[in-house]
Amino acid sequence: MSTVIFESASIEHLKDETPQRPWRKKPTKFTVSVFLAVVVPGVIVAWLFYSSMLPGAIIAVVIYLPLQLFAAGLAALINRGRRSIADSFIIVLSTGATVFTLVILISLIGSLVVRGFRALSPHFLYQNSVYINPSTPLEYGGIGHAMIGTLLILTIASLIAVPIGIATAVYITEVRGRAVAYVRFFVQSMSGVPSVVAGLFILTIAVSTGAFNQSAFAGGLAYAILMLPTVARTAEEVLKLVPEDLRTGALALGSTRARTVLMVVLPAARTGIITAILLGIARVIGETAPLLLAAGNNDGTVTNPFGQAVSSIPVYIFNNVALPYPDAVTRAWGSALVLMIFVAVLFTLARVLGRGKVGKY
Amino acid sequence: MSQTEFMRDLHSAATSHRGDRIFNRVITAAAFTSLVVLAGIAIFLGYQAVPAFQTQGMAFLTTTDWDINTDPPTAGILGMLYGSVLLSIIGLVIAVPASLLLSIFIVFLAPKKLAAGLTNLIDLMAAIPSVILGLWAFYILNPTAEEWQSLLNQYFGWFPLFENVSGNFLGTPFVAGFVLAIMMIPIITSVTREVLGRTPPDLINASEALGCSLWTMLRYVALPYGRGGIVGGVMLGLGRALGETIAVFFVLKIVFDTNWYNIIESGGGSVATLIVSRFGEVSGPFELQLLLAAGFFLFLMTLVVNMIANLIVSRTGRMQK
Amino acid sequence: MNPEEGETVSTTNYEEIATLKDRVPVPVDSAELAMKAQDVSVWFGKRKILEGVYMDFPRNSCTALIGPSGCGKSTFIRTLNRLHELLPGAALAGSVLYEGTDIYDPEIDPVNIRLKIGMVFQKPNPFPSMTIRGNVLSGLKLSGMKRENHDQIVEETLTSVGLWNEVKDRLDHAGGELSGGQQQRLVIARSLAVQPHVLLMDEPCSALDPASTLKIEETIRELSRTVTIIIVTHNMQQAVRVSDYTAFFLAAENEPGHVVEQGQTTEIFSNPQDQRTLDYVNGRFG
Repeated sequence: MSTVIFESASIEHLKDETPQRPWRKKPTKFTVSVFLAVVVPGVIVAWLFYSSMLPGAIIAVVIYLPLQLFAAGLAALINRGRRSIADSFIIVLSTGATVFTLVILISLIGSLVVRGFRALSPHFLYQNSVYINPSTPLEYGGIGHAMIGTLLILTIASLIAVPIGIATAVYITEVRGRAVAYVRFFVQSMSGVPSVVAGLFILTIAVSTGAFNQSAFAGGLAYAILMLPTVARTAEEVLKLVPEDLRTGALALGSTRARTVLMVVLPAARTGIITAILLGIARVIGETAPLLLAAGNNDGTVTNPFGQAVSSIPVYIFNNVALPYPDAVTRAWGSALVLMIFVAVLFTLARVLGRGKVGKY
Repeated sequence: MSQTEFMRDLHSAATSHRGDRIFNRVITAAAFTSLVVLAGIAIFLGYQAVPAFQTQGMAFLTTTDWDINTDPPTAGILGMLYGSVLLSIIGLVIAVPASLLLSIFIVFLAPKKLAAGLTNLIDLMAAIPSVILGLWAFYILNPTAEEWQSLLNQYFGWFPLFENVSGNFLGTPFVAGFVLAIMMIPIITSVTREVLGRTPPDLINASEALGCSLWTMLRYVALPYGRGGIVGGVMLGLGRALGETIAVFFVLKIVFDTNWYNIIESGGGSVATLIVSRFGEVSGPFELQLLLAAGFFLFLMTLVVNMIANLIVSRTGRMQK
Repeated sequence: MNPEEGETVSTTNYEEIATLKDRVPVPVDSAELAMKAQDVSVWFGKRKILEGVYMDFPRNSCTALIGPSGCGKSTFIRTLNRLHELLPGAALAGSVLYEGTDIYDPEIDPVNIRLKIGMVFQKPNPFPSMTIRGNVLSGLKLSGMKRENHDQIVEETLTSVGLWNEVKDRLDHAGGELSGGQQQRLVIARSLAVQPHVLLMDEPCSALDPASTLKIEETIRELSRTVTIIIVTHNMQQAVRVSDYTAFFLAAENEPGHVVEQGQTTEIFSNPQDQRTLDYVNGRFG
């Protein structure tokens, strides 16, 4: 009978069982060879780095990478055979690509903080640059005018792009007209319009119609072109997350389609819509080319959105980058730091708001 | 319900119906804004391109002169169009492998928390304004890259790609392409990461049961499965690179003679950057029209690339469902 | 419940089918075992899924693992070819022997284990980017295994799952074009191309229609002459039709699963020793 065939089943298990992960136990050979494969190339390269005059990036790419690939491949060959050499290469290369990207990111953020911090002071944030020339020391002048300009332009852009963007999303998810596929395609194509082309387009309208010239309004129009696709696409994703029950529920109570969208769907997606707006603003806030063309530059503070060229943070940076005066360059770094902080705050806010809150009251 | 109440009810139903119709019209009209803007750009810029073509003919696209003061003035943007493509190719050569490897690391190698952190950092990187990238490239990248390039020239100068006659290693297509790569990496990575992450667990399980290694699973299962999405992501990055203006402005010396392949020789072209760099010192309405015409062709180029990219991405998105 | 009634049902229902089986299993000693599980317990994180499983798998036999959902059968077979360890939080105790060797020995490459001990999953999962032929040969590519004469492998394996005649004219079509049942047979052929000695099947027919199920069962019976098969199934008729041995798993609420009873299939179904087995094989719960 069964007990005869399954002889081991009769063994009584008295052992104290503890969960184990035997696959994590590696043979000594494995541990030692992997350790060597990581440490040896590192030591060789560290020695080279201190004893030769070669730039770090060259050492990393020309010497360290091949050495590390060889060492990892050898360790893989010894432990798991030829089949695993390719795996070891992928591990080395993809870790390398990650480190490469992180190094660039850290260099970018690090240099912004280190070089930009010197320019920061209260007056830098509120003064304008009317009496400032590139050689004026850092004690004077600031980007107050550029911040007001950027704010003005962003407000105008948002006033135009946000309603249209949300309406576009509503068309795709709520109205579901016949042209949904086309509308989505046009929105996606529009997101690829180069920012300089958006600026040129507004400039052309201004020149050929004579209706307006370089101004916050024109800059806002150019920004709106770039902002619209981001708002529309994010809002679409957000509205898709609103539970279908809410819509059918509202319609079953006799609400009209319009009222359902305005009173039920959009409020339900409130935080998501805000995320869409924040992402739209983050998308454009640093765009320079369209403002160079459409909004121009101004050393003074401008609050009139029409008829007057206006400064903005990106254009301020642009104008100060390549000047042969250290203080002007420091101002550029300082305003770049301010801009980056704005971007990071918008980005973080969007992330925090966008985290699974959509569709709840 | 009394008769009058009933009538009033019906009446209000009709009004709300009318409200719905108006609502639908408004929404539909707004939804077509994107089409109107695209068409507007094509028409307005295209119209401005007419005078450029009337005076220059096809030479506007096939020559490299830019001399506005001669009579008749000559202008050709071949060097700029080609330059945009060359910079993008250099950028792609760096960004595509880097992005793919980065997404492989995030999806298949990194522990969950590290992967989430990296994803956030890469997304933040995509949000860095190009003017900041340009500032960084001008002051931080340039001196280092100058050193790399002169070493490259010293040892591999015999290879035409790495020739440098002027001895000037600033403002080269290589550095501009490198900056574009930095812009493209987060864009491409965000797509490829998602595509690779969507490889069905079913297929990965099956591969594991058949004794796959990471490499063979990628090579035969995950990459073929996500091919369409990956190509689409690369095209989206390319579209962005072709139209990039400001970051390139600070690191590329714009010269009108076409720099065909000397990627570490000072001087190159880019349509987008040409527009901004000439705009400040534009000599008159005619040169402005030439720039608008250049913008028109830039628009066409990026529009085509983006449309293809979006078609590929949406088609594979549908296939994967 | 009335035990006599249960007795009657079980004898009339199953003995008849059991006698139709073409092979009568004979008792074996441990030298003839393909695999052996010794005191295997399994955890996910802190939660114990399975406790103290002892089981022998004689060479070239078919063993069915039956029991209600959530009793750890699928988890158990995943420990048999080291797929279990790929899931987050997985842990285990006890040992699994394949031809007398502990498969969890640190010196052993899990890839070699998975090649010797193949697996077929619940849902047919041919590789969508490969042709039918490519799917059959995919194991060779994925594992880097070298085998001569690919055409012959394709024909042999597809024949052994009864698919050759149906697909021989469209080997270069996508695997996804086939019907669900055909896909599952293609997947079995794919597993066979790397010449495994053991084939694990995790409810291979649960996503298929009855006609396809019959064909797969035929295939399993055919294969079990040359390959050791371990199959998880919810379908008791199927266990009777295809298996030589049966093990009944059960988990009480919030308790890890364990084996209630195991033995020759005919015995388990016609003369179970445990009341719970009797109830389960007669469809009284689960």
